[in-house]
Amino acid sequence: MTDSSITYRLRVNGETEDVTAPAGETLIGVLRERLQLTGAKLGCAQGVCGTCTVLLDGRPTRGCLTLAADCTDREITTIEGLGVDGGLSAVQSAFVAAGAIQCGFCTAGMILTITALLKRNPRPSEAEVRHGISGNLCRCSGYTKIVEAALLAAGSAA
Amino acid sequence: MQLHWPETIGAALDLLAEADEARAISGGATLVAMMNAGLVAPQTLVFLRRIPALAGIERRAGGALVVGATTTHEAVETSTLFDPGQAIVRLAAATIAHPPIRAVGTIGGSVAHADPSSDYPAALVAADAEIVCLGRGGERRVPARDFFVDFFETALLPGEIVRAVVLPPAPAGACAIYDKLARVEGDYATVSVAVVMAMEGEVCRHARLAAGACGPVPVRSDEAEALLVGATIDDAVADRAAAAMGEAADPVDDVRGSAGYRRRAMVRMMKRAILAARDGSRQ
Repeated sequence: MTDSSITYRLRVNGETEDVTAPAGETLIGVLRERLQLTGAKLGCAQGVCGTCTVLLDGRPTRGCLTLAADCTDREITTIEGLGVDGGLSAVQSAFVAAGAIQCGFCTAGMILTITALLKRNPRPSEAEVRHGISGNLCRCSGYTKIVEAALLAAGSAA
Repeated sequence: MQLHWPETIGAALDLLAEADEARAISGGATLVAMMNAGLVAPQTLVFLRRIPALAGIERRAGGALVVGATTTHEAVETSTLFDPGQAIVRLAAATIAHPPIRAVGTIGGSVAHADPSSDYPAALVAADAEIVCLGRGGERRVPARDFFVDFFETALLPGEIVRAVVLPPAPAGACAIYDKLARVEGDYATVSVAVVMAMEGEVCRHARLAAGACGPVPVRSDEAEALLVGATIDDAVADRAAAAMGEAADPVDDVRGSAGYRRRAMVRMMKRAILAARDGSRQ
Protein backbone atom coordinates (compact mmCIF):
# COMPACT_ATOMS: atom_id res chain seq x y z
CA MET A 1 0.00 0.00 0.00
CA THR A 2 1.55 3.29 -1.01
CA ASP A 3 1.41 6.32 1.24
CA SER A 4 -0.09 9.26 -0.60
CA SER A 5 2.01 12.39 -1.02
CA ILE A 6 1.31 15.71 0.65
CA THR A 7 2.86 19.11 0.10
CA TYR A 8 4.13 21.39 2.83
CA ARG A 9 6.86 23.90 3.57
CA LEU A 10 9.88 23.52 5.79
CA ARG A 11 12.34 26.13 7.04
CA VAL A 12 15.80 24.63 6.51
CA ASN A 13 19.01 26.55 7.16
CA GLY A 14 17.15 29.83 6.92
CA GLU A 15 15.52 29.03 3.57
CA THR A 16 11.92 28.04 2.90
CA GLU A 17 11.70 24.74 1.05
CA ASP A 18 8.62 23.32 -0.66
CA VAL A 19 8.37 19.60 -0.03
CA THR A 20 6.19 16.98 -1.70
CA ALA A 21 6.58 13.66 0.05
CA PRO A 22 4.60 10.75 1.50
CA ALA A 23 2.86 11.86 4.68
CA GLY A 24 4.75 9.36 6.79
CA GLU A 25 8.24 10.24 5.57
CA THR A 26 10.76 10.99 8.26
CA LEU A 27 12.77 14.19 8.44
CA ILE A 28 15.98 12.35 7.57
CA GLY A 29 14.27 10.92 4.50
CA VAL A 30 13.05 14.31 3.31
CA LEU A 31 16.39 16.03 3.98
CA ARG A 32 18.44 13.41 2.15
CA GLU A 33 16.10 12.28 -0.61
CA ARG A 34 14.00 15.36 -1.37
CA LEU A 35 16.30 18.25 -0.48
CA GLN A 36 19.65 16.61 -1.30
CA LEU A 37 21.03 17.58 2.10
CA THR A 38 23.03 14.42 2.59
CA GLY A 39 25.25 15.60 5.45
CA ALA A 40 22.96 13.91 7.96
CA LYS A 41 23.18 10.12 7.74
CA LEU A 42 20.72 7.30 8.26
CA GLY A 43 22.29 4.74 10.57
CA CYS A 44 20.05 2.68 12.82
CA ALA A 45 16.59 4.18 12.17
CA GLN A 46 15.91 3.60 15.86
CA GLY A 47 17.26 6.78 17.40
CA VAL A 48 20.23 5.09 19.01
CA CYS A 49 23.26 5.95 16.85
CA GLY A 50 22.81 9.71 16.44
CA THR A 51 24.08 9.97 12.86
CA CYS A 52 20.75 11.47 11.78
CA THR A 53 20.93 14.25 14.35
CA VAL A 54 19.89 17.70 13.12
CA LEU A 55 18.82 20.78 15.08
CA LEU A 56 15.13 21.55 15.45
CA ASP A 57 14.69 25.05 16.87
CA GLY A 58 18.32 24.76 17.94
CA ARG A 59 17.89 21.44 19.82
CA PRO A 60 19.53 18.18 18.75
CA THR A 61 16.79 15.96 17.34
CA ARG A 62 16.75 12.53 15.70
CA GLY A 63 15.84 12.97 12.05
CA CYS A 64 14.91 9.29 11.91
CA LEU A 65 12.29 9.61 14.65
CA THR A 66 10.73 12.85 13.44
CA LEU A 67 8.04 13.05 10.77
CA ALA A 68 9.01 15.82 8.38
CA ALA A 69 5.40 16.98 8.05
CA ASP A 70 5.41 17.67 11.79
CA CYS A 71 8.20 20.26 11.40
CA THR A 72 6.36 22.98 9.49
CA ASP A 73 6.36 25.31 12.49
CA ARG A 74 10.02 24.83 13.40
CA GLU A 75 13.47 25.87 12.21
CA ILE A 76 15.66 23.06 10.95
CA THR A 77 19.44 23.36 10.92
CA THR A 78 21.61 20.81 9.15
CA ILE A 79 25.40 20.58 8.90
CA GLU A 80 25.16 22.35 5.56
CA GLY A 81 23.75 25.37 7.36
CA LEU A 82 26.55 25.88 9.86
CA GLY A 83 29.11 27.60 7.68
CA VAL A 84 29.68 31.31 8.11
CA ASP A 85 30.20 33.39 4.91
CA GLY A 86 31.26 30.32 2.99
CA GLY A 87 33.73 29.28 5.69
CA LEU A 88 33.61 26.79 8.53
CA SER A 89 31.97 27.42 11.88
CA ALA A 90 34.08 27.42 15.04
CA VAL A 91 33.12 23.83 15.86
CA GLN A 92 33.74 22.65 12.30
CA SER A 93 37.20 24.32 12.31
CA ALA A 94 38.01 22.75 15.67
CA PHE A 95 37.15 19.30 14.31
CA VAL A 96 39.62 19.83 11.47
CA ALA A 97 42.31 21.27 13.73
CA ALA A 98 41.99 18.47 16.29
CA GLY A 99 41.93 15.70 13.69
CA ALA A 100 38.52 14.58 14.95
CA ILE A 101 37.20 13.21 11.63
CA GLN A 102 37.91 9.69 10.37
CA CYS A 103 35.22 8.11 8.20
CA GLY A 104 32.92 11.08 8.71
CA PHE A 105 29.74 9.12 9.32
CA CYS A 106 29.18 10.42 12.85
CA THR A 107 30.61 13.85 12.11
CA ALA A 108 27.56 15.86 11.12
CA GLY A 109 25.57 14.65 14.11
CA MET A 110 28.49 15.21 16.46
CA ILE A 111 29.18 18.73 15.23
CA LEU A 112 25.53 19.78 15.47
CA THR A 113 25.18 18.25 18.93
CA ILE A 114 28.32 20.01 20.13
CA THR A 115 27.24 23.29 18.51
CA ALA A 116 24.00 23.15 20.50
CA LEU A 117 25.84 22.13 23.66
CA LEU A 118 28.21 25.09 23.47
CA LYS A 119 25.31 27.48 22.93
CA ARG A 120 23.75 26.22 26.15
CA ASN A 121 27.00 25.82 28.04
CA PRO A 122 29.87 27.86 26.54
CA ARG A 123 32.50 26.49 28.93
CA PRO A 124 31.72 22.83 29.47
CA SER A 125 33.93 20.50 31.44
CA GLU A 126 35.20 17.37 29.73
CA ALA A 127 32.56 15.37 31.64
CA GLU A 128 29.84 17.69 30.39
CA VAL A 129 31.08 17.30 26.81
CA ARG A 130 31.08 13.52 27.14
CA HIS A 131 27.58 13.59 28.61
CA GLY A 132 26.44 15.93 25.86
CA ILE A 133 27.64 13.61 23.08
CA SER A 134 26.52 10.45 24.87
CA GLY A 135 23.79 10.03 22.26
CA ASN A 136 26.21 10.02 19.30
CA LEU A 137 28.11 6.85 18.48
CA CYS A 138 31.50 6.92 16.75
CA ARG A 139 32.93 3.61 15.63
CA CYS A 140 36.28 4.94 14.39
CA SER A 141 37.82 7.36 16.79
CA GLY A 142 37.36 6.35 20.41
CA TYR A 143 35.91 9.85 20.95
CA THR A 144 39.16 11.35 22.28
CA LYS A 145 39.73 13.86 19.51
CA ILE A 146 36.03 14.64 19.26
CA VAL A 147 36.09 15.69 22.92
CA GLU A 148 39.30 17.65 22.29
CA ALA A 149 37.66 19.41 19.37
CA ALA A 150 34.67 20.38 21.51
CA LEU A 151 36.90 21.80 24.24
CA LEU A 152 39.05 23.54 21.63
CA ALA A 153 35.97 25.18 20.14
CA ALA A 154 34.90 26.24 23.63
CA GLY A 155 38.23 28.01 23.99
CA SER A 156 39.31 25.84 26.90
CA ALA A 157 41.49 23.31 25.14
CA ALA A 158 42.29 20.17 27.11
CA MET B 1 -1.54 8.14 5.73
CA GLN B 2 -3.56 10.99 7.17
CA LEU B 3 -2.01 13.39 9.68
CA HIS B 4 -3.98 15.50 12.13
CA TRP B 5 -2.95 18.06 14.73
CA PRO B 6 -6.04 18.56 16.94
CA GLU B 7 -5.91 21.38 19.44
CA THR B 8 -8.39 19.93 21.92
CA ILE B 9 -8.65 16.60 23.68
CA GLY B 10 -12.20 16.14 22.39
CA ALA B 11 -11.09 16.53 18.78
CA ALA B 12 -8.24 14.05 19.36
CA LEU B 13 -10.54 11.45 20.90
CA ASP B 14 -13.04 11.82 18.05
CA LEU B 15 -10.28 11.24 15.51
CA LEU B 16 -8.96 8.22 17.38
CA ALA B 17 -12.42 6.71 17.55
CA GLU B 18 -13.52 7.43 14.00
CA ALA B 19 -10.51 7.56 11.70
CA ASP B 20 -9.11 4.49 9.96
CA GLU B 21 -6.48 2.65 11.99
CA ALA B 22 -5.65 5.74 13.98
CA ARG B 23 -2.85 6.00 16.50
CA ALA B 24 -2.02 8.79 18.88
CA ILE B 25 1.51 10.16 18.60
CA SER B 26 3.06 12.15 21.43
CA GLY B 27 6.83 12.57 21.12
CA GLY B 28 7.05 9.84 18.51
CA ALA B 29 10.29 8.43 19.90
CA THR B 30 8.78 4.96 20.16
CA LEU B 31 6.04 5.08 17.54
CA VAL B 32 8.21 6.34 14.67
CA ALA B 33 10.93 3.84 15.60
CA MET B 34 8.30 1.09 15.38
CA MET B 35 7.13 2.44 12.02
CA ASN B 36 10.74 2.46 10.80
CA ALA B 37 11.09 -1.17 11.90
CA GLY B 38 7.91 -2.14 10.07
CA LEU B 39 6.16 -3.14 13.30
CA VAL B 40 3.19 -0.79 12.89
CA ALA B 41 1.70 0.95 9.88
CA PRO B 42 -1.04 3.33 11.06
CA GLN B 43 -3.33 4.85 8.49
CA THR B 44 -3.98 7.92 10.63
CA LEU B 45 -1.70 9.73 13.05
CA VAL B 46 -3.21 12.02 15.66
CA PHE B 47 -0.49 14.34 16.96
CA LEU B 48 -1.05 15.33 20.59
CA ARG B 49 1.60 18.00 20.91
CA ARG B 50 -0.66 20.95 20.22
CA ILE B 51 -3.18 20.17 22.97
CA PRO B 52 -2.55 22.48 25.95
CA ALA B 53 -4.61 20.34 28.34
CA LEU B 54 -2.10 17.48 27.97
CA ALA B 55 0.98 19.59 28.59
CA GLY B 56 2.90 20.74 31.62
CA ILE B 57 3.58 19.80 35.22
CA GLU B 58 1.31 21.28 37.86
CA ARG B 59 1.65 21.20 41.61
CA ARG B 60 -1.72 21.16 43.34
CA ALA B 61 -2.50 22.52 46.79
CA GLY B 62 -1.75 19.65 49.15
CA GLY B 63 1.34 18.63 47.22
CA ALA B 64 -0.01 16.31 44.52
CA LEU B 65 1.77 16.60 41.19
CA VAL B 66 -0.05 16.33 37.86
CA VAL B 67 2.30 15.55 34.99
CA GLY B 68 0.65 16.03 31.58
CA ALA B 69 0.99 13.19 29.07
CA THR B 70 2.97 15.21 26.54
CA THR B 71 5.57 16.27 29.12
CA THR B 72 9.01 15.33 27.83
CA HIS B 73 11.45 13.23 29.85
CA GLU B 74 13.76 16.24 29.80
CA ALA B 75 11.07 18.44 31.36
CA VAL B 76 10.49 15.81 34.05
CA GLU B 77 14.25 15.45 34.62
CA THR B 78 14.80 19.17 35.10
CA SER B 79 11.63 20.04 37.03
CA THR B 80 11.95 21.52 40.50
CA LEU B 81 8.35 20.66 41.43
CA PHE B 82 8.89 17.06 42.58
CA ASP B 83 9.05 16.55 46.36
CA PRO B 84 11.81 14.26 47.69
CA GLY B 85 9.63 11.14 47.41
CA GLN B 86 7.99 12.05 44.09
CA ALA B 87 11.57 12.57 42.85
CA ILE B 88 11.73 8.82 42.10
CA VAL B 89 10.01 9.65 38.82
CA ARG B 90 12.45 12.43 38.03
CA LEU B 91 15.44 10.20 38.82
CA ALA B 92 14.07 7.53 36.51
CA ALA B 93 13.46 10.03 33.69
CA ALA B 94 17.09 11.17 33.83
CA THR B 95 18.25 7.66 32.88
CA ILE B 96 16.07 7.28 29.80
CA ALA B 97 18.11 6.88 26.59
CA HIS B 98 20.10 9.99 25.63
CA PRO B 99 19.57 13.75 25.74
CA PRO B 100 18.07 14.07 22.22
CA ILE B 101 15.58 11.30 22.99
CA ARG B 102 14.67 12.81 26.35
CA ALA B 103 13.99 16.12 24.62
CA VAL B 104 11.29 14.49 22.50
CA GLY B 105 9.99 11.37 24.28
CA THR B 106 7.07 11.88 26.64
CA ILE B 107 5.79 10.29 29.82
CA GLY B 108 2.36 9.59 28.30
CA GLY B 109 3.81 7.80 25.29
CA SER B 110 6.27 5.84 27.39
CA VAL B 111 3.67 4.77 29.94
CA ALA B 112 1.13 3.79 27.28
CA HIS B 113 3.78 1.65 25.57
CA ALA B 114 4.53 -0.23 28.81
CA ASP B 115 7.89 -1.65 27.82
CA PRO B 116 8.91 -3.71 30.86
CA SER B 117 12.54 -2.64 30.38
CA SER B 118 11.68 1.07 30.39
CA ASP B 119 12.23 3.32 33.39
CA TYR B 120 8.89 4.86 34.35
CA PRO B 121 6.79 1.81 35.30
CA ALA B 122 8.76 0.76 38.40
CA ALA B 123 9.24 4.39 39.45
CA LEU B 124 5.51 5.14 39.13
CA VAL B 125 4.63 2.06 41.20
CA ALA B 126 7.08 3.12 43.90
CA ALA B 127 5.55 6.61 43.85
CA ASP B 128 1.98 5.27 44.25
CA ALA B 129 1.14 7.12 41.05
CA GLU B 130 -2.20 7.08 39.31
CA ILE B 131 -2.55 7.07 35.53
CA VAL B 132 -5.36 9.24 34.24
CA CYS B 133 -7.02 7.44 31.32
CA LEU B 134 -9.25 9.52 29.11
CA GLY B 135 -11.75 8.39 26.49
CA ARG B 136 -14.95 9.67 24.99
CA GLY B 137 -16.78 8.04 27.88
CA GLY B 138 -14.91 10.12 30.41
CA GLU B 139 -11.90 10.02 32.65
CA ARG B 140 -10.80 7.34 35.10
CA ARG B 141 -7.79 6.95 37.33
CA VAL B 142 -5.92 3.68 37.51
CA PRO B 143 -3.24 3.03 40.15
CA ALA B 144 0.13 2.39 38.51
CA ARG B 145 0.32 -1.05 40.05
CA ASP B 146 -2.88 -2.00 38.18
CA PHE B 147 -2.13 -0.04 35.00
CA PHE B 148 0.73 -2.20 33.73
CA VAL B 149 -0.95 -5.47 32.87
CA ASP B 150 1.53 -7.45 30.77
CA PHE B 151 4.39 -7.05 28.29
CA PHE B 152 3.49 -3.91 26.33
CA GLU B 153 -0.06 -4.10 27.64
CA THR B 154 -1.87 -1.60 29.83
CA ALA B 155 -5.31 -1.05 31.32
CA LEU B 156 -6.11 1.54 28.64
CA LEU B 157 -9.41 0.76 26.93
CA PRO B 158 -9.79 1.09 23.15
CA GLY B 159 -10.07 4.77 22.23
CA GLU B 160 -8.46 5.94 25.50
CA ILE B 161 -5.30 7.93 25.84
CA VAL B 162 -3.15 8.68 28.85
CA ARG B 163 -4.08 12.19 29.90
CA ALA B 164 -1.70 12.63 32.82
CA VAL B 165 0.19 10.92 35.60
CA VAL B 166 -0.74 12.00 39.13
CA LEU B 167 1.72 11.65 42.01
CA PRO B 168 0.41 11.97 45.56
CA PRO B 169 2.49 13.97 48.02
CA ALA B 170 5.13 11.72 49.56
CA PRO B 171 5.28 11.20 53.34
CA ALA B 172 7.40 13.65 55.28
CA GLY B 173 11.09 12.80 55.21
CA ALA B 174 10.77 10.46 52.23
CA CYS B 175 13.85 9.53 50.23
CA ALA B 176 13.79 8.19 46.66
CA ILE B 177 16.43 5.87 45.21
CA TYR B 178 16.44 4.73 41.57
CA ASP B 179 19.20 2.37 40.49
CA LYS B 180 19.54 1.06 36.95
CA LEU B 181 21.84 -1.63 35.66
CA ALA B 182 22.38 -1.35 31.91
CA ARG B 183 24.98 -2.61 29.43
CA VAL B 184 25.88 0.95 28.46
CA GLU B 185 24.60 4.35 29.53
CA GLY B 186 21.40 5.08 27.70
CA ASP B 187 20.40 1.47 27.13
CA TYR B 188 17.14 0.03 28.43
CA ALA B 189 17.50 -1.46 31.91
CA THR B 190 18.86 -4.95 32.34
CA VAL B 191 17.44 -4.51 35.86
CA SER B 192 16.17 -1.46 37.69
CA VAL B 193 15.05 -0.88 41.27
CA ALA B 194 12.91 1.93 42.65
CA VAL B 195 12.59 2.59 46.38
CA VAL B 196 10.69 5.32 48.22
CA MET B 197 11.09 5.15 51.99
CA ALA B 198 10.40 7.42 54.93
CA MET B 199 12.00 6.92 58.33
CA GLU B 200 10.92 8.34 61.67
CA GLY B 201 14.02 8.19 63.78
CA GLU B 202 15.21 4.59 63.62
CA VAL B 203 11.86 3.20 62.48
CA CYS B 204 10.61 2.91 58.91
CA ARG B 205 7.17 4.45 58.46
CA HIS B 206 6.71 4.07 54.71
CA ALA B 207 8.23 1.77 52.13
CA ARG B 208 7.42 1.22 48.47
CA LEU B 209 9.64 -1.12 46.47
CA ALA B 210 9.42 -1.90 42.77
CA ALA B 211 11.74 -3.56 40.28
CA GLY B 212 11.82 -3.09 36.52
CA ALA B 213 12.93 -5.39 33.72
CA CYS B 214 12.35 -8.36 36.02
CA GLY B 215 9.03 -9.46 34.62
CA PRO B 216 6.18 -8.40 32.37
CA VAL B 217 5.14 -5.68 34.83
CA PRO B 218 6.94 -3.92 37.70
CA VAL B 219 7.72 -6.39 40.46
CA ARG B 220 6.10 -5.65 43.83
CA SER B 221 5.86 -7.52 47.07
CA ASP B 222 3.50 -6.74 49.94
CA GLU B 223 5.60 -9.13 52.03
CA ALA B 224 8.80 -7.20 51.32
CA GLU B 225 7.21 -3.89 52.24
CA ALA B 226 5.64 -5.36 55.40
CA LEU B 227 9.10 -6.51 56.52
CA LEU B 228 10.27 -2.91 56.41
CA VAL B 229 7.38 -0.81 57.71
CA GLY B 230 7.50 -0.52 61.49
CA ALA B 231 10.96 -2.06 61.62
CA THR B 232 14.43 -0.78 62.40
CA ILE B 233 16.23 -1.23 59.10
CA ASP B 234 19.49 -3.13 59.51
CA ASP B 235 21.44 -5.33 57.15
CA ALA B 236 19.44 -8.45 58.00
CA VAL B 237 16.07 -6.76 57.52
CA ALA B 238 17.17 -5.29 54.19
CA ASP B 239 18.39 -8.76 53.14
CA ARG B 240 15.04 -10.34 53.92
CA ALA B 241 13.05 -7.65 52.12
CA ALA B 242 15.31 -7.88 49.07
CA ALA B 243 15.00 -11.67 49.09
CA ALA B 244 11.21 -11.37 49.17
CA MET B 245 11.40 -9.14 46.08
CA GLY B 246 13.60 -11.77 44.45
CA GLU B 247 10.92 -14.40 45.11
CA ALA B 248 8.29 -12.18 43.52
CA ALA B 249 10.34 -11.51 40.38
CA ASP B 250 9.54 -13.23 37.11
CA PRO B 251 12.44 -12.29 34.81
CA VAL B 252 13.10 -13.57 31.31
CA ASP B 253 16.25 -14.53 29.44
CA ASP B 254 17.02 -12.05 26.71
CA VAL B 255 19.90 -10.29 25.00
CA ARG B 256 20.49 -8.06 28.03
CA GLY B 257 20.76 -10.86 30.54
CA SER B 258 19.59 -14.23 31.73
CA ALA B 259 16.69 -14.60 34.15
CA GLY B 260 19.00 -15.92 36.83
CA TYR B 261 21.40 -13.01 36.46
CA ARG B 262 18.57 -10.51 36.61
CA ARG B 263 17.14 -12.01 39.76
CA ARG B 264 20.52 -12.08 41.54
CA ALA B 265 21.39 -8.57 40.43
CA MET B 266 18.00 -7.20 41.43
CA VAL B 267 18.21 -8.63 44.94
CA ARG B 268 21.62 -7.03 45.50
CA MET B 269 20.56 -3.72 44.02
CA MET B 270 17.34 -3.73 46.05
CA LYS B 271 19.20 -4.30 49.31
CA ARG B 272 21.60 -1.45 48.53
CA ALA B 273 18.72 0.82 47.58
CA ILE B 274 16.83 0.04 50.80
CA LEU B 275 19.84 0.94 52.92
CA ALA B 276 20.53 4.06 50.87
CA ALA B 277 16.92 5.21 51.19
CA ARG B 278 17.08 4.59 54.92
CA ASP B 279 20.21 6.73 55.20
CA GLY B 280 18.81 9.41 52.91
CA SER B 281 15.58 9.64 54.86
CA ARG B 282 17.23 9.86 58.24
CA GLN B 283 19.05 13.06 57.29
